[in-house]
Order: sequence, then structure tokens, then C-alpha cells
Amino acid sequence: MRARLTLVMLLAVVLAACASVLGLRRELPSHPFEHRAHVLKGINCVECHADVASAGETGPLHFPDDAVCRRCHEKPHDTRSCTSCHGEPYVRQAAELARAQLRFEHPTHMIAVRGDCVRCHTQVAEARPETVLPKMATCFGCHQHRDQWTMRDCNGCHVNVRDEGVPPDDHLVHDGDFVREHGVRAASARDLCASCHTDRQCASCHGEGTVPALPWKLALGEVSLSGLHRAGFMARHSDEARADPGLCTTCHSESSCVDCHTRQNVAGTSVRSPHPPGWASGEHGVQARIDPVSCAGCHGGAGEQLCVGCHTVGGPGGNPHGPGFSSHKDEHHDLPCRLCHGVGR
Amino acid sequence: MGLPSLAEADPLRLRGDALAETQGSSSPTGLIVLQGEDAPRSWVGVEGLVWAGARSSTVTGDVLVLAVRVREPHGYTEARVGRFVLATGAVHPVQIDGAHLIARAPWGSVVETFGGLPVAPRFGARSYDWIAGGRVAQTVASVGTLGVSYVQRREDGEISNEELGVDLATAPAKWLDVAAFGAYDVTSPGLAEARASAAVRWTDWRVELFGSQMSPGRLLPATSLFSVLGDMASQTVGATVRWRAAPRLDLLASGAGQDVAGGLGSNGWVRATLRLDDRGAGSLGLEVRRVDVPGVQWTGVRAIGAVPLGKGFRYSSEIEIVVPDNPDGRGVAWPWGLSALSWRSLSGWEVTGALEASSTPQQRYEADALVRLTYALGSATPGPQGGQYTGSR
Repeated sequence: MRARLTLVMLLAVVLAACASVLGLRRELPSHPFEHRAHVLKGINCVECHADVASAGETGPLHFPDDAVCRRCHEKPHDTRSCTSCHGEPYVRQAAELARAQLRFEHPTHMIAVRGDCVRCHTQVAEARPETVLPKMATCFGCHQHRDQWTMRDCNGCHVNVRDEGVPPDDHLVHDGDFVREHGVRAASARDLCASCHTDRQCASCHGEGTVPALPWKLALGEVSLSGLHRAGFMARHSDEARADPGLCTTCHSESSCVDCHTRQNVAGTSVRSPHPPGWASGEHGVQARIDPVSCAGCHGGAGEQLCVGCHTVGGPGGNPHGPGFSSHKDEHHDLPCRLCHGVGR
Repeated sequence: MGLPSLAEADPLRLRGDALAETQGSSSPTGLIVLQGEDAPRSWVGVEGLVWAGARSSTVTGDVLVLAVRVREPHGYTEARVGRFVLATGAVHPVQIDGAHLIARAPWGSVVETFGGLPVAPRFGARSYDWIAGGRVAQTVASVGTLGVSYVQRREDGEISNEELGVDLATAPAKWLDVAAFGAYDVTSPGLAEARASAAVRWTDWRVELFGSQMSPGRLLPATSLFSVLGDMASQTVGATVRWRAAPRLDLLASGAGQDVAGGLGSNGWVRATLRLDDRGAGSLGLEVRRVDVPGVQWTGVRAIGAVPLGKGFRYSSEIEIVVPDNPDGRGVAWPWGLSALSWRSLSGWEVTGALEASSTPQQRYEADALVRLTYALGSATPGPQGGQYTGSR
């Protein structure tokens, strides 16, 4: 019991000491604006945000200044500007960003919601800075915007969504282990991905022979824990491939291996052959069934003659096909069947 | 959540990169990468990325992307023509020289068709090698999309891949989204690949459950001799958990059980990332990873650190130590480390110098010096992705 108490106290001390580093203690004196308190006092939004009903796509933002505050708060408790503490500075920055990047006018929206600001600013009463601006999913409450989403018509609202570079945090969340996850997420929404991501980004991993153009290859100073081929991956890539057979084919064709192994002099009869001694007479058949992609990496194409040179029909190794194997190919004429079953063999 | 800041309109990006590398006893390597993107009108965009490199007396290069995208302003039709990566539905990503057409209807129907010549690297050429297919999808009640795809690819005139695919994505609630796809091999009947992912989110947590099945023999071209060795599929089932433990501290853990051709195994990792400031300009990270599948067992620890030094300078370092369970004569530990110092000017220049050292299963000792020089035309802040992260909405 005493040890547990000591541990809890120790953790509390560490947390307190690290509060600033962890972001628990704010560096700025500012805090989220007290919207809820004002609403509970019966103050209508437009009493402070006076110009919002006529604000267009350009011009100053509709944030109240100190003079507006002093209409009610006649004796301010501080000589500094009210906005230096009340309201987060980056909420204003976010609003400036939205003003620059979105095609949006408050007047038309206020008509649609009949002046009820909370229809869009649904979480404004919560005392958290990220809840002031409406989430993008809120826009889809209207048919027009939902249809624009369906049609991938980003330009209806965004000036240039790609340059905007702001990922929505309520959907399309690129979170967790997204490098692994992105394939299945993109399957049904490839065109949606393309609204922000370029072909270059896809091709940098999924293109043929792209290694020199890989972003991480050039981003020497951009260290990251995510990414597939970071740190010493190259040195243990054969172990990584064996741990998940077939995964490499997601980006690499079978020729990728032989290209690199030839360049690095790790191939065939070279002294740096990747196979252990006795490989040919040992477990190569079992390993070939488990991970045929790795075999094809070096022995594909013309290299297949190495296999059929020994494994003739009725020859050593028995039937190479696994249980239940079937194929629609013509065994006498189509590749690869004809290598073993072709006329004259 | 990153902090929002003003994004800069940046319609044209051209980058030149040069990389000097001394790798062990090999000679320096030079590399130039040029990429550009422009959208002179909202309905048309052009994109390109070419690179050229030299090592010893060998000079090579390639065109990675060179594509034009044309789009009807309201999204009813869209076309991509040129060299690009084709990926849609359950169709595996493939780089092609060809065309991809999309037609959409307001009620959520989508019809896609594509065709072209798969790219041979380094300006190579293949004969009678082409790919064609399509996808039909329907969005149902704005909460989900169901798609069916077909692809056929031929190499030297013979079928190398013929697949039917199904894909699904749904977000029935704000806190839940599910996605899955499956590709069925028509040539050698059976499931070639299937993946599924379901994620739930609430406040600072996100939990994703995932599963996959892959049949390596069916992922190879059907013209390969190795595609007929049978179907020893591997299955994976796992979960990833993300917890924003503090405003600047993210904890991420992932674990999966695997069945690799009948042998059971597992793998998992835990990551912690601490941002040193609200904008994430500096960060520290630690990862511990364990892989334990038949024939491959190792444990690794990786640490990263990036610190802005002011006046455009930035220092970063990355260290990793991997300890195999069975060294098998390949060394008891495989350490790797990189330290880099970067300088970035407001006029678009960026210089990075790095030292990389390692002891690997292949080399007892290896040390490289790397220098990268970048100049970005038309952009004040060059980045490896050509864009900048400015927050979230």
C-alpha cells in the first residue's frame, strides 16, 4: 500500500515537472473564449459578432474588439487587451485560414439556418479551442454539400484544397498506423484521396524503379517513426519479407529484387549468394511454397529454367503443385504450364 | 491536432535535388529529381516527376509521373491520361502509360474504366503487355460505398493477372468507419488478397481492428513458374491503439497474430512521440518492436529526435538497434544510426548533411556521408511531399 502511494506520488511529481513539456501547462495566458457563459446570460451571438450577417468572402474578420467587450464589461480587470487572454490566438489564425481558403459567406448560411448559429457551430459552448469552427462533417448536414462531396466537387467550397493542406480531423483521419492502413481505406475512395494527394506521392512508392525518388530517401533530416523502410530496414529486408510473405508485391515487382541484387553483386553464383550452404539440396522447396514471391525476385523469367532443369514431370521433388491446385490455363501452350507440360517435354 | 497556420498558395512547384553519397567503398552517387505541378484552370491539372542519377560510370533515369487530369467542373466526368499510378477498388496499384476515365452521377453511382501499358522501368519496353479493366460503385444513403472491379493484365500476350474485386467503405457513425476489399483470382481460382479495417474514435483514443489474407502465389503474375506452387496463404489479425496521452504526447501500440503458411507467429510495436512545441517543429520518439514468426525472430529499439536550432538550422538524429534471436553468424546485434544537420532558407534553398553508420548482417561496419542540396522554385518552403501541414479541420 505504501509502495503504491509512493509510486502515485512519484508519478504526480513527474507529471507536474513535465507539464509544460507535455503541453499540459499552457505557455500562453490565453484560454478558450467563454461562449457558454455569454449565451447563458442571454446574449445573442450577433450582439458581439455584429458584422457577421453582412460579412462577405473578403474583408476583416468578424471578431469583436475591446470596445465591444467594454459595452458590458465597463471596468476591465486588466489593462491588456481582452483578446490577449480571452480566446485562443490560433482560433483567429484558423479563421484567417478559412477566410483565405474557403468560398464561404455567412449571410447566405444564416438565412439557411434562420439565424441559429449553433446549427453549424454545434460545439461552440464547449470550452475547448478546437470546437469554435464547424467541423467539415457539419457541412454535410445540407444536401448541397453532401452532393458536392459525392461528386468530389471540392472547388464548390475550397479555393484550392491541395494547397490548403489542412486534413479534416473528423473524417478521413490519417491516424494510427496509416501507412499500413491507407490501402484498404483508399480502395473505395481513390478519387477522394486524389483531391489532396498527388500522383507523385503514390508513384514514389508504387511506381516501378522509384527508389531514387522516394521522399524518405531524400528526406535525410525528416526523421519519423512511421514509414516502412526507415532506419536499418535495408539490412534486414529479407527477414521483413519472410515475416509477411507477399507484402512486398504491394509496391515492388519481382524484377525489383534482381535489379538491386545484381547491382550489389548479391546474386546467383557470386560469393555473396543470399542462400545458406546446402540450400539447393535442402529446404528450398518448402520455402518456395511459403514465399514464392521471394524466389521469383531473382529466379523469375529466364531464371525459371534453373527450376525446370531439375524438376521435370516425374522427376525429383514430385508434383510441385499444392493441394487443390487448379488453373484455367492451357497446360500445353500457356506460360508457365508449357515449361513443364509443353509438347516435347 | 497540429496548430493551424496560414497556408501559402503554391500553384507551381519545381524541385531540384542532388544527393552525394559515399557508400562503403562504392563511388559517389548523384541524383537530380525534378517535379512540377500546375493547374492553369480549375478543370485541368498537369503533373510530372522525372529523375536522373549516376553511380560510377552508369547514368540512368526515369519518368515517374507525367499526367494530365481533366475534370468536368461539377465532377460528372474526370479523365487522367499519361503516366500515373492506377489504383482503384481491389485493383492492385500499377504504374501505367494509359488513361483512366471516371463518370459520376449525383445519386452516388460511379463508373470507372482504365487501360494502358504497364511501365517498364528505366525507359524499358515490353511487347504485348497491357492492362485493362473497370469498376462500378454505388454510394448508399451517404453512409457507405460498395464497389465491384475487374482487371485483366497480359504480359507478352498471355494472361498474367485476371481478378474480380469487391470493395466496401462505410462510416455509419461519426465515431466508426469500416473499409474492406477482396480480390479473387480468376486464372487460378481463389482469394488472392483480402483486407479489412474497422476503426472507432472517441476523444483522445482511436482503436483499429484489422485483418488480412494474402496468397503470395496468386499475387505473382500468372505467367510466373512460381505462381503454380500452390496456395499457402498467410493471415493476419490485429489491433492498433492510439492514445493522445497529453497535448504533445502520442502513444501508439499495435499487435497482430499471424498464420504464415501454417506456422503461427506474432508481431507488435509500441511507439511514443513527444512534440517539443505546439507546432511540432521539434520532436522526440521511441519505438520498441518485436517480430516473432517461424524463421524470423528479432527485437528492435529505435529512437528519433529533431530539434530546430534557429536561423533555419535543424538537427535530427535516428538510432536503431536490432537484436536477432538467432544470429546465425550474422552478428549478435545490428545497430544503425544517422545524424543530420539541415539548413533551409526562405528563398527556397535547403542543404542537408548527414552521417550514417551501421553494422549489418551483410557488412560488419559501414559508414556513409550524405549531402543533399535542394532548390525549390516558386515555393518558399520546400518539403518532401511538396506541401505543408498546417493543421486540421
